[in-house]
Parts: sequence; structure tokens; C-alpha cells
Amino acid sequence: MTIVLFGLYSAALYAIGGVGFTLQFGVTNVLNLAYGSLITSSIFVEYYLTGHSTNLWLAMLVGGAAGTVLSFVVGFVVVGAFVRRGAAGFSIAMVTIGISLMIQYTLEAIQGPVVNAYASSNRSTLLSVAGVNLDSQQVTAILVAVVLMVVVHLVLRLTKLGLAMRATADDVSLTRVSGVSPARVRALAWLVSGALCGVCGVLLGIGIGTFDAAIGNDFFITAAAAAIAGGVGKPYGAMLGALVVGIITQASSAIISPAFSSISAWVLLVAFLILRPQGIFATYAAEREIVA
Amino acid sequence: MSQSTVYYLSGLGILFVINLVAVWGLDLHFGFAGVNSFAFIVFQAVGAYITGVFSLSRANTPVTFETYILGVHWPWPLALLLGGIAGAVLAVPVGWIAVRRLRGDYQAMAMLVLALIANSLIAAETGWFNGATGLESVPQPFGNLNVSLYDYHWVFLALAAVCGIVSWWIARGIARSPLGRSMRALRESESALAALGRDPNRLRTIALVAGGFLGGLSGGLLIQYVQAWGPASWLYAETFLFFTAIIIGGRGNLLGTALGTLLVPIGIVEVTRELPQFGYPGEFADFQWVAIGALMLVFLWFRPHGLIPERRRVFRPGGDDASSGQEASARALARGSQR
Repeated sequence: MTIVLFGLYSAALYAIGGVGFTLQFGVTNVLNLAYGSLITSSIFVEYYLTGHSTNLWLAMLVGGAAGTVLSFVVGFVVVGAFVRRGAAGFSIAMVTIGISLMIQYTLEAIQGPVVNAYASSNRSTLLSVAGVNLDSQQVTAILVAVVLMVVVHLVLRLTKLGLAMRATADDVSLTRVSGVSPARVRALAWLVSGALCGVCGVLLGIGIGTFDAAIGNDFFITAAAAAIAGGVGKPYGAMLGALVVGIITQASSAIISPAFSSISAWVLLVAFLILRPQGIFATYAAEREIVA
Repeated sequence: MSQSTVYYLSGLGILFVINLVAVWGLDLHFGFAGVNSFAFIVFQAVGAYITGVFSLSRANTPVTFETYILGVHWPWPLALLLGGIAGAVLAVPVGWIAVRRLRGDYQAMAMLVLALIANSLIAAETGWFNGATGLESVPQPFGNLNVSLYDYHWVFLALAAVCGIVSWWIARGIARSPLGRSMRALRESESALAALGRDPNRLRTIALVAGGFLGGLSGGLLIQYVQAWGPASWLYAETFLFFTAIIIGGRGNLLGTALGTLLVPIGIVEVTRELPQFGYPGEFADFQWVAIGALMLVFLWFRPHGLIPERRRVFRPGGDDASSGQEASARALARGSQR
């Protein structure tokens, strides 16, 4: 039961981060290895701008805004410039790694030799299920994740923007001849992805209580495991993947040792990348040339 | 020159050769065969660990609290060679990723995560290579030679130079052979190569094994020089030090990558240690990494074929148009035509 409940809490964070990652990847076709450093930056901005506030709503507003702006600058402006020059595949991976190194070590220089810590907030037990206590922060994170997932679903299904996003993810040239500007849709994808990344960042930072300049990287790789297991570019797959990864990380942490919590998810990621890069549900993977 | 200056310079020379061996190994992977070897640091790490546990004596756990496998205290040349071989052997399972028909960025990510897994696993398993603390007090080659600390640097530099020459011989041998030509063809277009009847997977595996041997060898040399090795010595980011050296110097060009090694791991990381430091300990290293990331972007944008570009090999009646060849290879790199 502990595993399931804490797995659910982990899954909430992985779902927000994973959907943000996969949405942007599906639309822009850019594997953003700097996503982790964007998560970290959002926490840093929130921490310094709000004076270490642990008010979740304020934090999500500030962190989400920071993530949105940074993701746009990094993704649409910088990476986009390389893409417009014709870079793809490996070169883009290299560019995003370069950006990631720059951001991570700038933050480390800002952070200094100490670990940043939030003042211990009021973390009274809010919910007690079968002897497992969840505090208000954890319950909020789960609720926020559910709401965000529903919003993402509604936007993708019901709005013109969502239709344009799904269309761009499927076929850029067909979308263009239908009168939709792919550049605008890509810009929006970077913005939305950044917002989700910022929200998930502050929930993660405040949830743990302490953070350093590397916090986003490990988390990102685990969230990417959720996204890839669910099938890249598919938000619903990422949600399901997040549940699986959330349970797996908690279970291996409880059963083997805490050190294996991330390792098991990463092994899952490598296994999916090698054996089934199109994810659990294979539909349009072949056309997107995931398997070249 | 004062004695300390000479000592410093000979130390730089040693580190240059060790890094050069690693960079040439990565160049075989990435520059020649076009494998996005984002896990390259693991080859160096394995070489270092294996050389370490073969040259150390059995751990006296109750006294030192160290635990590691083997500890057979074999002669150092054998331990060093085994380090290289360990890198070559590791290349076989890594090759399973490389031979799968994965998109370039997927391959890169799989390799990157592999490096993360390896590092976390070795840090978590204290019984293999002493966990997060790592190995220390590894015996040095010619350890019983009765020379001063200053003179010992020259001894080690000579040893490193021998390894450097062997690496040059291996890398240049492959680069100039028909095998190397096929590898470059593989990098540019796998389907064209396959159409000519070559086996891409065999070529990739050969490149990985040869490069893995050089990676392992550099790791073995490194642990024999610094005498210690732990998970903190091979974080995944270190791989990008070598990648930056290759991109700046000129991919697929042994001379260019040597220049890149002189500029990045030596010029930016080692020499700048002599500059006046500021801030807290480690702040300077942070800015070094920021500079490396920035250099990578600047070169990918302005000069993707590096300072000394690979000579374009063309077989065309009517002569060799070098300048357009350069542009073509630059475009190819920018496109990421390799997988």
C-alpha cells in the first residue's frame, strides 16, 4: 500500500514532467536533453524570486512562468535556429547537451557550496489511507497532476490549437497546406512544455525540501522513461508510463535499496529505447522514422 | 625554468597524452564509424577500475574498510593491458545498442542513460570497486625506481608517450586502411555501404572495440598516474569534454583532434587552474563547464567541421575540389547525416 500511494505521488510528478517533454517532442521532433536543466532553472527562479516561499500556488505560478519563458528561449529561439539551418538527430542532441551544461553549471555557480533548502513548511498529514500518511503537499501534487492531465486532454481534443498540435505531430506538410503555421504551433508547444516543466519542477523541489543544480537531470531521465515507455509524442502514453514508472521506482526502492529507485527506471528506459523505441502502443512510429 | 615549472609542464604533458588516447578512441567511435558514443566515459572508467583491481593487493577490509574484487597485485604492464582489453570487451555489449537501427538522437540518449546507470550502479555496489569512495593508493609503474618526484614525471611521460604512439599506430592504421574508408562511408550513408556489400554492423563493432581499447587504455594510464579512481571521476558530463575536443579540432582527423585535446581538456580545464581562482572552491570549475558548453554551441554553429577539417576524400576524374568537399562535410555534420 505504501508503494502504491507513494508511487501515485511520484507518478503525479513524472506525469506532469513526462507529458511536457513528450508533447514538445511530438510536435517539434526535437529530443530536448536540456529539459532537466529547465526543470532545475524553474526551481531556482521560484526559490530566489519568491524568497523561498513554499506556498504551492504561488510557486507553481512563478515556476510555471519561468519554465515557459526559458523553454521558449532555449527551444524555439536557440535550438530552433539550429533546426532552421537543417541540423537534426545527433547535432540537435549535442546542441541541447551544450545548453544543458551551460544552464546546470551556471546554476551551480549561483547556488554556491551549500545545498538550497526550503524552510520546513507545515506538512501535517492531510490524508491517511490504510495507515499511510500523505501530507498536504503530496495530495496537492496529485490533484494538480490530475487537473493538468484533464486540461491537456481537453485542449488536445476540443480546441483548434490542440487539433493543430496533433496534426503537426502527425504530418507537418499536410498541416501546412491546411493553412496552419507549423512555426506557431511549435512555439506554442515549447511554451506549454515549459509551463508543465516549471510546475513539475517546483512541486519536486518543494516536495523534497532541498535541491541543488543537478536535481532536474536525474528526475528528467526518469520522466523521460515514462514518456518513452508510453510512446514518444503521445501524452496519454506518458500518463500511463508515469504510473508504471512511479510504481517501479517506489517498489525497487522499497524492495532492493533506495539507490535502485532511479536505476530501475533508467534500465526500463534503455530497454525501451533499444527494443521498442515506439513505446507500448505502436501506431505511427514507422512514419515518424523512430526506427530509421 | 624553475624545477616546479618543469614539473608542472611535464605533468601537463602526461595529462595531454592520456586525454589524447581517449579522444582518439572516441574519434574511432564517433568520427569514423559515426556511433554517437555518449557513454564513452564508461570505457575509460572500466579500464581504470580493471587496471586498479589487478595492480592493487588484496583489500584488508577490517583495517582499511575497503572492498573490491580481485586485488591480485599483478605486474603493472599486464594490469594496464587488461584495462585496455576490458574497454574492448565492454564494446561488445555496447555494440548491441549501436547496431540497432535507431535514430541518432535515440541512440545518443540510450548511451547517455547507460553511462548514468553504470555510474550509479558502481557507486551503489560497494563490493565491486569500493562503491562511491572508489579505489585509492593504486601502485604506480616503476614504483620501486629510486628517483625524485620531479624525475618520476619524466619516467611516466615516457610510458604515456609509448601508449600514445601505440594508439596513434592503431588509429592511423584504421584511418588509412580500406577498413577506415568503409567506416567513413558507413558514417555518411549506411544504405550506400550496405548496397556495396559491406556489413555495417561488423564495421561498427570493429570501430567500437578498437575505440573501446583506447578508452580503457587511457583509463588505465590515468589511474596509474593519479593513483585513485571513483564514481566522481567519471560523471557523464566528462564524455562531453572529449566530444568538444573532437568537434573543435575536427572530427575524423587525428591531427585535428590532437589540437582539440590541447585546447579543451588541457587548455580550458588544466591550464586555467593556474589563473587566479575566485569564489568558493569549485566555482571556477563551474565556469569551465559553462565555457565548454558555449564552445560546443559556437563551433556547431560557425565551424561544425572543426579547426582542422577532415580531408575530403574524393575519387573524381578531373581532380579533387577540396573547398567544396569541406562544405559538403560541414553540411553533412550539421544535418547529422550519421546515425
